[in-house]
Amino acid sequence: MRIKSFIAILLLGSFTAGLVSCGGKKTKNVTISGAFALYPLGVKWTEQYKQNAPDLRFDVSAGGAGKGLTDVLAGAADIAMFSRQLTPAEKEKGIWVFAVAKDAVLPTFSLNNPLADLIRKKGLTKDQLKEVYLSGKTNISWGSLLDTAATQPVVVYTRSDAAGAADTWADYFGGKQENIKGTGIYGDPGLAEAVGKDASGVGFNNVAYAYDVTTGKKRPGIDIIPIDQNNNRVIDPEENFYQNADSILQAISDGRYPSPPARDLYFITKGKPTNPDIVAFLKWVLTDGQKYVKEAGYVPLTDAHIKEELAKLQ
Amino acid sequence: MQNRKILEEKFFLWLMRLVTLSIILVFLFIMGIIIKKGFHAMTWEMISQEPKGGFYFGKGGGILNAIVGSLYLALGSTFFGLLLGLPVALGMNVHWITKTRFVGALRFLLDALWGVPSIVFGAFGFALMAYLGLRASLLAGIITVTLFIVPIFIRAFDEVLRTVPEGLMEAAYSLGANKTQIAFTVFFRQALPGFITAILLAFGRGIGDAASVLFTAGYTDHIPQTIQDPTATLPLAIFFQLSSPIPEVKARAYAAALILTIIILIISVVSRLSTRRFKKNIL
Amino acid sequence: MAALQSLRLPAKLTDRLSTGWLNFAVLFLILLPLVIGVGLVIKSLPLLEQASTWKMLSSAEFSPQQGHFGFYAFIMGSALVTLLSFVLSAPVCLLAAIYLTEYSPAWLTQTMYFVIDVLAGIPSVVYGVWGVLVVVPLLAGYVAPALGLSTTGYCLLSGGVVLAIMAVPYMLNMLMEVFRSVPVELKEASLSLGATYWETIKWVVLRKGITGIIAALSLGISKALGETIAVLMVVGNVAKVPKSVFDAAYPLPALIANNYGDMMSVPLYDSALMFAALLLFVIILVFNSITNVLLSRVKEV
Repeated sequence: MRIKSFIAILLLGSFTAGLVSCGGKKTKNVTISGAFALYPLGVKWTEQYKQNAPDLRFDVSAGGAGKGLTDVLAGAADIAMFSRQLTPAEKEKGIWVFAVAKDAVLPTFSLNNPLADLIRKKGLTKDQLKEVYLSGKTNISWGSLLDTAATQPVVVYTRSDAAGAADTWADYFGGKQENIKGTGIYGDPGLAEAVGKDASGVGFNNVAYAYDVTTGKKRPGIDIIPIDQNNNRVIDPEENFYQNADSILQAISDGRYPSPPARDLYFITKGKPTNPDIVAFLKWVLTDGQKYVKEAGYVPLTDAHIKEELAKLQ
Repeated sequence: MQNRKILEEKFFLWLMRLVTLSIILVFLFIMGIIIKKGFHAMTWEMISQEPKGGFYFGKGGGILNAIVGSLYLALGSTFFGLLLGLPVALGMNVHWITKTRFVGALRFLLDALWGVPSIVFGAFGFALMAYLGLRASLLAGIITVTLFIVPIFIRAFDEVLRTVPEGLMEAAYSLGANKTQIAFTVFFRQALPGFITAILLAFGRGIGDAASVLFTAGYTDHIPQTIQDPTATLPLAIFFQLSSPIPEVKARAYAAALILTIIILIISVVSRLSTRRFKKNIL
Repeated sequence: MAALQSLRLPAKLTDRLSTGWLNFAVLFLILLPLVIGVGLVIKSLPLLEQASTWKMLSSAEFSPQQGHFGFYAFIMGSALVTLLSFVLSAPVCLLAAIYLTEYSPAWLTQTMYFVIDVLAGIPSVVYGVWGVLVVVPLLAGYVAPALGLSTTGYCLLSGGVVLAIMAVPYMLNMLMEVFRSVPVELKEASLSLGATYWETIKWVVLRKGITGIIAALSLGISKALGETIAVLMVVGNVAKVPKSVFDAAYPLPALIANNYGDMMSVPLYDSALMFAALLLFVIILVFNSITNVLLSRVKEV
């Protein structure tokens, strides 16, 4: 008898646990998935928007821009956070694109690198960066890049997941994510961590993961490789805007930082959004939401741009 | 000649001792690191709050979303796995006991399924999800994990059921019992400790597996409220949050790892104890 | 259905109900692998129609954006990391199994059962954590420099080590069962003929248990082949055939797990990943079937 009741309780318990969620509260859910680049902003926006629509529940997750697109196409997510341009093939699937903010991808190196100061003073030119990231050569020495005798080879890290950041960074050199040759690490935070641990490592990160926006300082372990845009092998004052989050955001905003790898960030949906909750949210993002953009560590859109995007929603 | 033999034996004996010792050492090493890192990260806040400010990013809060999500997922899958697996396991040993070729083929099939990696189930689950129009959710996760653990449960329980002496069944028949009664009352009772072990084994695999839920259950900061909501799970909580340079985010991963490890330890201990305790009624 | 019976329904009714449910369940179970197989094949078809299967299996160029889907690097990655894990774990398991069944004191054997249980139950992601915390820095900071090489630590060897540790509990458990099933009489006969204990083991036990040993080793291989999460955290994920154990590799399961996010956005990518899953499914089914056939021979004795 006791055994029977024991079994009955066990089964009942699992059954209840399995179904307790089934008839839960009827909050409306909006699922947002996609680029790590937009993740902090997405979280910030959804948290702020809760005050306008308390019965709406947002689930925000990051898995890379590619995943966001896959989820939206499969109907698994309502909105995708997207941090690169759509390919022509992707555009054919009837995706609606809204720009919501701007940021940039920054090349990173490890603070443990003995040549850190020199890197900060001289930076690397676009051609040097292209060779490092795209050529696949594993014997490019730090010395050859900075005109010193150091023989340590540069170790390239990239993203193993489908990342907008990787695509945008490669786009700077006219390539695509798969052209970047390096050890694949999952996720934006993971990449920053891996580069930090490897003294000869280089990688790339979105602004929000390279800088801690609350303090404005760079994240522990990594530093930004300044891009030597005029190729004079010195980082001039007008090229030097990497000190803190504010300075780099300003540079992205006024175009001093090249674009790509600066880029627009998008919310995308499958077809024109018809769900009134989603449309309302998107409108809010483009209007009231813009005031949170800066404090989250991104560059707000220009007014003209905002008008364009709003028009799409009509 | 004798000496050479003895020397050889001694050599191998020491080698074997060394090897066994190293296995134990590796085991302790793994447990040690997980406990150490997880212990530092474990606070009341950690197990009672959802992550604040985004799970990849936010420094506050804890992993309640993953704990509850995993429990819902594992309990739900174990329940459905039981629903499908229990009758089959009992059937193989009672109803179809005479159809040895059928049962043999079934065992073969189940053993083959047992080894299929969870990523294949995950990929299949994703295809199924897309086909059925499901979103990444607790439901999709439960379906996938159920499929994954059913062979595990059946195989484990079947192994125990096979040891039940046939004489018991014959005696029951002679008393007028029908097949169902024999299966669910007589055999079940005999094999109760094995049943508990099998359930716990299936539950443990279900709660700890990442590849099957990676595509199907989604991830979120919230505790799921309906079965259609995406849900965080402990293995994914570790996977996503481990490689962050932000220490608070990493801490959540370590705490989740510790919790999972503790769950597994509890499962191992409980199965051993129940095997000993319930042996009273066993022939 | 004890519950049903306590409802005092006529026994015949509960019998019919549960038999019906039984038949449904077993039908479901038999159909399951078929459905999985067919489903994966269907999803892979678009890719298989486009390019020749042979070419896909033998080409190492994998750039989905340009439509190149060569799986060779991944197949080699899987094969090499599994081989490495086998080389590291098989001798260890054999020796330990012999020791634990023939020589060790009972308390040690009992303890080992517990250890094996827990090791087998530890989720793969936790092994991944340990790999990232311990194995990767160890290789990058100590082992490679000691050999005059440099590596990021995210390499084939890391994957091999982690997989080896994960395979040990399964192989060890099965090997112990195999050795214990060798009839005592055989050992006694050998000893009475003047062989030492060790010689008995070498020539009698191992010989007798050879099919079981192969089955256990094959189990270890299939576990290593199918492991996803732990290996993807430490193996480097670079789509090239590794030239040394300190190079990164990219096994098939890691390919699927890392890239399913890109699936719908690149044409044919979803078929490619489903094809990879199908490959894995088939290879492991074959391996497991061989294991089981061998095992059934052992148990017959």
